[in-house]
Amino acid sequence: MFFWQDPQFGDKMITLMAALILVLQIMMVAQHWLVTIIRVFAVQSFLLACIAATIAYFNNAPHIYAAAALTLLLKAIILPVVLTRLLVKVDIRREVEPFINMPISIIISGMLTLMAYVVAESFQRPDELAGPASLGHNTLAVAISLFLIGFFMMTNRRKALTQVLALLSLENGIFLAAISLTYGMPLVVEIGIFFDLLIAILVLAILVYRIRATFDSTDVSRLSRLRG
Amino acid sequence: MSEQAIALLVQLGLLLLLAPFITGFSKTCKARLQTRRGPGLLQSYRDLHKLLRKGMVIPDTASWIFPATPYVLFVTTLLAGLMIPTVSAQAPLSWAGGVLAVVYLLALGRFFLALAGLDAGSSFGGLGSSREMTIAAIAEPALMLAVFTVALGAGSTNLSTVAEFALGQSWRFLAPSQMLAFAALFIVLIAETGRIPVDNPATHLELTMIHEAMILEYSGPYLALIEWSASIKQLVLMTLLVNVFFPFGLSTDWSALPLASSFALFVVKLLLLAGVVVLVETTNAKLRLFRVPELLAVAFVLSALALISMFIF
Amino acid sequence: MILVALLLAPLLASGLTALLRGRRAMEAIHLVSAAAMFALSIQLAAQVLREGGVSWGDGFLHADYFSALVALLNAFVYLVSAPYAVGYFRRDAADNAFEQNGEGPPAEKKLLQYYALAPLFGFSMFLVVFANNLGVMWVAVEGTTLASIFLVTFYGRPTSLEAAWKYAMIGSVGLSMALFGTILTYYSAHQALGVETLSGLNWSTLVHSAAQFDKNVMRLAFILVLLGYGTKAGLAPMHTWKPDAYGEAPVPAAVLMAAAMLNCAIYALARFYVLTLRCLGPDFPSQLLILFGMLSMAVAVPFILVQRSYRRLLAYSSIDHAGIMVLGLGFGGALGALGMLLHMTFHSVTKPLLFFCAGNAQQHLGTDSLRKNSGGLIHSLPVSAPMFLLATLAVTGTPPFSLFQSEFTILRAGFAGRHTVPAILFVVFLVAIFCGFFFHVAQLVLGPANGLPRGEDSRWKSYPVLALAFVVIVLGFWLPAPLFALVEGAARVFEVQL
Repeated sequence: MFFWQDPQFGDKMITLMAALILVLQIMMVAQHWLVTIIRVFAVQSFLLACIAATIAYFNNAPHIYAAAALTLLLKAIILPVVLTRLLVKVDIRREVEPFINMPISIIISGMLTLMAYVVAESFQRPDELAGPASLGHNTLAVAISLFLIGFFMMTNRRKALTQVLALLSLENGIFLAAISLTYGMPLVVEIGIFFDLLIAILVLAILVYRIRATFDSTDVSRLSRLRG
Repeated sequence: MSEQAIALLVQLGLLLLLAPFITGFSKTCKARLQTRRGPGLLQSYRDLHKLLRKGMVIPDTASWIFPATPYVLFVTTLLAGLMIPTVSAQAPLSWAGGVLAVVYLLALGRFFLALAGLDAGSSFGGLGSSREMTIAAIAEPALMLAVFTVALGAGSTNLSTVAEFALGQSWRFLAPSQMLAFAALFIVLIAETGRIPVDNPATHLELTMIHEAMILEYSGPYLALIEWSASIKQLVLMTLLVNVFFPFGLSTDWSALPLASSFALFVVKLLLLAGVVVLVETTNAKLRLFRVPELLAVAFVLSALALISMFIF
Repeated sequence: MILVALLLAPLLASGLTALLRGRRAMEAIHLVSAAAMFALSIQLAAQVLREGGVSWGDGFLHADYFSALVALLNAFVYLVSAPYAVGYFRRDAADNAFEQNGEGPPAEKKLLQYYALAPLFGFSMFLVVFANNLGVMWVAVEGTTLASIFLVTFYGRPTSLEAAWKYAMIGSVGLSMALFGTILTYYSAHQALGVETLSGLNWSTLVHSAAQFDKNVMRLAFILVLLGYGTKAGLAPMHTWKPDAYGEAPVPAAVLMAAAMLNCAIYALARFYVLTLRCLGPDFPSQLLILFGMLSMAVAVPFILVQRSYRRLLAYSSIDHAGIMVLGLGFGGALGALGMLLHMTFHSVTKPLLFFCAGNAQQHLGTDSLRKNSGGLIHSLPVSAPMFLLATLAVTGTPPFSLFQSEFTILRAGFAGRHTVPAILFVVFLVAIFCGFFFHVAQLVLGPANGLPRGEDSRWKSYPVLALAFVVIVLGFWLPAPLFALVEGAARVFEVQL
């Protein structure tokens, strides 16, 4: 068979893409320009769709192709466009210094990756044979680290739009975990989840716009009037 | 003469003569990208020649460190260069030390340079020294972790062993740990050789200088030695990057014919890498000093991830 | 078929509302649809009592006793909030409460927002209880969040936006964790069953083979689900969005959130609890549930004692009751689940009463502050104010009101399960909450007249209060047999087969 039909090659490609996704997530933590964060997210989602498509190719599973196509369409194309338009409307370009400064937050992200690796270890399946059915199982650590780093970013950043993007990368991690563990959920559930995500981002975009209009800034540390 | 002596002389000659060429090539490339004509490929040699014949002005307040530093820097950089495989997988001094020795020798040179910057008694020198040390503090762990990743794969910190091991594996650079280590080392290369986006080597504004500020008081042969050492350091780091990750065509001993082809390939790879560095330089703006630790923190995390991914994947 | 009807009714109502925009039309559609949903849910309950369960679409939608009970309770809350909403928004329109600094959208547009979103919220909450597939259940819970975000920003004030943002962010993160937990559950089932079809996530399929699931993975899954759906329910320490959201939303929306959405969140949590129970045994999940229950009650106590706003007071009461329900689940045994279900039932009846009275008071006084008022509300609001006091007594579990019985059942469950320290703490917290709550409300309601005009201006606002008060008092003495049969059937879902 050709070298691109060999499951070993597929495994190598998936591993490479997962590593790139992790690097992109760390880069997202280090960014100051909101436009770049959106673009990094788009590339990350594209790689995610590629991983899903690779697994689908080797396992001949059409429903994973559908999930990959949905990811590509929604997260790599539609959502970045929506968010970039929002960025232009809201006219906020740069992120201010987060609560924990940048170099330390980058190092914290590295430690969270380590923690994710430790958690993923407990899911190890040592009696597994290498082959099409075990593709992508080693990406669970990357998925959990995306989840943890996204969560950390949400608490650390001050701009509302960055929090939304952190939430989206968190969801990317969950999707990757689903692909890695169970080759995705049943298609109906996937469609429901994507639809929910779309509506959620639209709702959040409207909220960000309103926050900007009311507070003249999207710095969420200013949203602190309600106490007790 | 024994093979060892030949190897020593060849590598020494290579380091001394090729380094200014790479610097000149980088400057010409950058100029061409900026639609200028540039100073010409051999300008660095002419500059060194000119400086070696000029007189020196030494500050009154300088101590013994001031004249000692150029020599220390030169010698340590050369020694480090002799431990790295350039045209042959067997580096002449590889029996004396491996990765750790290289890193420490370069650090020793940097230490003396920083002291010399302070020694001259001008405030700009101190400014340059403190900035250089800040950058080194984060760049060095990144460098070490990245090289350890590679060494871990090969099972030894001896760079000749690492290069030979890498020769035997094809398509190894596709592995995530290798790519991450390469990315981390690339950022460290930019930081250590003082290129944009960390430091502008062509700046005239003292307040934006890092490396230049430390050597502001030097002139004549001392300056020639220091500039030469900087070029050699750049060559050393580039060689590390190129020969550890892409060791195609590296000959395994010091016999003549494979050496010639290895030399040609080596020059080609170096020029390619220099081209990429120049591209990065031209497309980016210099970072504010307070943002440089962020960039280096990314390099550190990348190298840490490279080490971790040896175990995850 | 009836399941589909219950899901379609609110969708139709929402669509019709968006089409016909006159105020009278919107109010009429809202009232009629609320009544229809309640009638349908009574019919569903009767059907479930007769047949043991109702299915549709090859098990895609399934209603057992638990689903039918929660659906009935949610429909009841929706029903009583409908006439109240009519009166409340009429008063708001008259007060020009939709305007900020003298400018704002016309009243019709704002009313459209509520009357179109509330049925969508109703649709989601029915989908939560009827969805058999755990993934679809998650989608529906997320749907309730999305439908209610714009209800929180209703008044468009800066504080509303702040509350909505907090709610959106914390809710989204929580639900992501719940999604991860769902995926892990699917994974552990996958390993045991090897099924990859749609029914692989069906609760009714999973519950029978739960004992074979991977134990480590189920542990992690339950923790994530508890954190996730616990955020929606408002368990501490994920409760911080609740006071803001309940304080800023209009009262009818706050009622839906406090009673119906809380029920849905506890429902989802309980479904996962049963799976974990069958897989890991009662010890691990009940320890976690007791911990979070205690924490929620403990957090509620100081904030109730030192509180400046009576709208936020209600939110902390809601946090407290979520904690009590979770505590009941955690105590386990025959009495624990029964206590939790009884509590859910009685809470769904009592909480709306509390909110309605508070809403009436706020619209009358113009502010929800406890410090700025000198009391004596009983003279200006002769219907709402005494009922406010009655509702306070009811909601804090004073005998002879119904919540006392459910809390007592939970207490008995605690002692029966040898959880003595938590049970004692439970009593201490209840007493503390009663003191604080009663003190604040009594200060607001009792006292000499202070010159405010009489405020019972709308029958739409007073009649629901009176009707609910009647139900609350009656339920304290008499629980209709069919309702109790439904509760008992629901409690059987939680039995661990030994």
